[in-house]
Amino acid sequence: MTFFTVIIRGLLRRPVRTGLTLLGISIGIAAVVALVGMAWGYEKSIGRQLDVVGIDMVVSNMGGGLLPQVFDQSLQAKVAALPHVAETTSTLMLMQSVEDAPLIVVSGREWDSFTWKALRVLEGRMPKDTGERAVVLGRLAAEGLRKKVGDTLQLEADELQVVGIVDGQAVVENGSIILALPLLQEITGNEGKVNFVNVRFTPKTTKTEVTLLRDQIKEIFPEGRALEASEVVGTSQGFRIARAMSWSTALLAIIVGVLGVMNTMLMTVFERTHEIGILLAVGWKKQRIIWMVLCESALLGLLGGITGVALGAAGLKILEVTTTMRGLLEPDLSPRLLLTAIAIAVVVGVVSGLYPGWRSSRLSPSRAIQA
Amino acid sequence: MEENAHDPRPLVYEARGLKKLFDGGSVSALRGVDFQVWEGEFVAIVGPSGCGKSTLLQLLGSLDRPSEGTLTYRGKSLADLRDPSAYRAAEVGFIFQAFHLLPTFTVVENVQIPMFEGKLSRSQRVTRAEELLQEVGLQHRLTHFPSELSGGERQRVAIARSLANNPSVLLADEPTGNLDSENAAQVVELLLRLHKELGTTLILVTHDAGIAALASRTVRMKDGRIVTSSPNLPAA
Repeated sequence: MTFFTVIIRGLLRRPVRTGLTLLGISIGIAAVVALVGMAWGYEKSIGRQLDVVGIDMVVSNMGGGLLPQVFDQSLQAKVAALPHVAETTSTLMLMQSVEDAPLIVVSGREWDSFTWKALRVLEGRMPKDTGERAVVLGRLAAEGLRKKVGDTLQLEADELQVVGIVDGQAVVENGSIILALPLLQEITGNEGKVNFVNVRFTPKTTKTEVTLLRDQIKEIFPEGRALEASEVVGTSQGFRIARAMSWSTALLAIIVGVLGVMNTMLMTVFERTHEIGILLAVGWKKQRIIWMVLCESALLGLLGGITGVALGAAGLKILEVTTTMRGLLEPDLSPRLLLTAIAIAVVVGVVSGLYPGWRSSRLSPSRAIQA
Repeated sequence: MEENAHDPRPLVYEARGLKKLFDGGSVSALRGVDFQVWEGEFVAIVGPSGCGKSTLLQLLGSLDRPSEGTLTYRGKSLADLRDPSAYRAAEVGFIFQAFHLLPTFTVVENVQIPMFEGKLSRSQRVTRAEELLQEVGLQHRLTHFPSELSGGERQRVAIARSLANNPSVLLADEPTGNLDSENAAQVVELLLRLHKELGTTLILVTHDAGIAALASRTVRMKDGRIVTSSPNLPAA
């Protein structure tokens, strides 16, 4: 028998209560994994999308929503004329309900720009020109919408032909409906409007030159912002809100977890007053009693954390393939997140055990043994 | 009062004016006890219920602190111990009327519990516990839980546990109080044998005059005081 045996027996004394406490922590940790995993995953996929397409800077007017507000497309020419700008392209990106999909990214892209070139055709072909009333679907969007090459797609009041299925190498791209910019502008009544100007720098552009370029864009587009690709996610209001919401929900889950474990451990200490009295009578040090209570609550946290991580990851995987979320979600289930979640659970366990541990150490052996 | 005032053996316990108050002083369990115990003695403490026998035993085992007076163990004040648990772990073994075994641990595990404060390895703890259980005749019950044992067997496990760390003093609080006469006789016989074989000082609280008569000295208490302390005549 080891000290660990003592800890295990303590937890198995009341298996139902231990199980329910574990369930409580697991749900909390699952919520942490699911929410934070979604937020991190979305940020990561946006970052990857910019990287794949080869965008160095994004000019937009982030008004507070997940997608920026539209502005006049003429801004593109002004940006293109600035020093150190090698190439620009405009995009109108909308998020809307299309046929059975409640929310899907619809991306109108300037014809023949570099944003088209990162797409690999899996089936069918690309649209012939801007005049063709056709779309290509990212592979996840095609799955979600249950469309194949040759089908038609209802977008607003128009019927467009699906001419190709593409792989965009990033979940946002794969989950999008992609068509020529003028066509989307026409269909959605946004003629002459875009919400992104994507910029590629000339080779060897320095940080200072990028800063200067940013200032110049600010001058010509005061209501907008120019962000380097690496900054897009971090400074986006929408992502900030999503991140704050996921962490605050996680915090609530953690607080509930702490209270749950603390309640269990306090009950355990009260119920085991007699047993603790015996341990003290046979010579156990108070520190060992505290250590026993802390280890029990930490183990509860660890087991709850592991179960919670498994539950959260499974939940995210299921969510990822549901029709509603397909193509919109690429959860981040990186070891960093999973280990962080387990560490949080263990800390929750230890913190929850501090007060009960202290209470147990205050017991008088003579009184406790008579309890 | 003290019959052994000039006993040549080392003094184990010495109490002077020992008082113990409860409930903010409204209950006086000990009212000035003077008491000495010498190495290797078997002292029986007798008296009516509520006379302070168990309280005195708890103070000797440092399970509680006196309200007034001095109590020394081998010359050191128990009240001044920085770590009473170390004293309890190394110097004394407790045997209680209600056995006080841990129900979720097997017999062999219960005996190992006090050894966690010692320096034995895991395998040494197991070996030591098995030896002790053999000593008390329970080698066939190692993996049983306390609930599967008779009262007498439980008390024998408790005796084995009390010996786990080789204590020099055994403090037994009515060890036969919950046993039938047959089991009680076996437990007393075991305690006497261990006392003789190991040379352990044995202080035993009892209501049973027959058991008290087996001790080398009987201390009689009443109303929180010692009224007599006299050696018993050897059995004829």
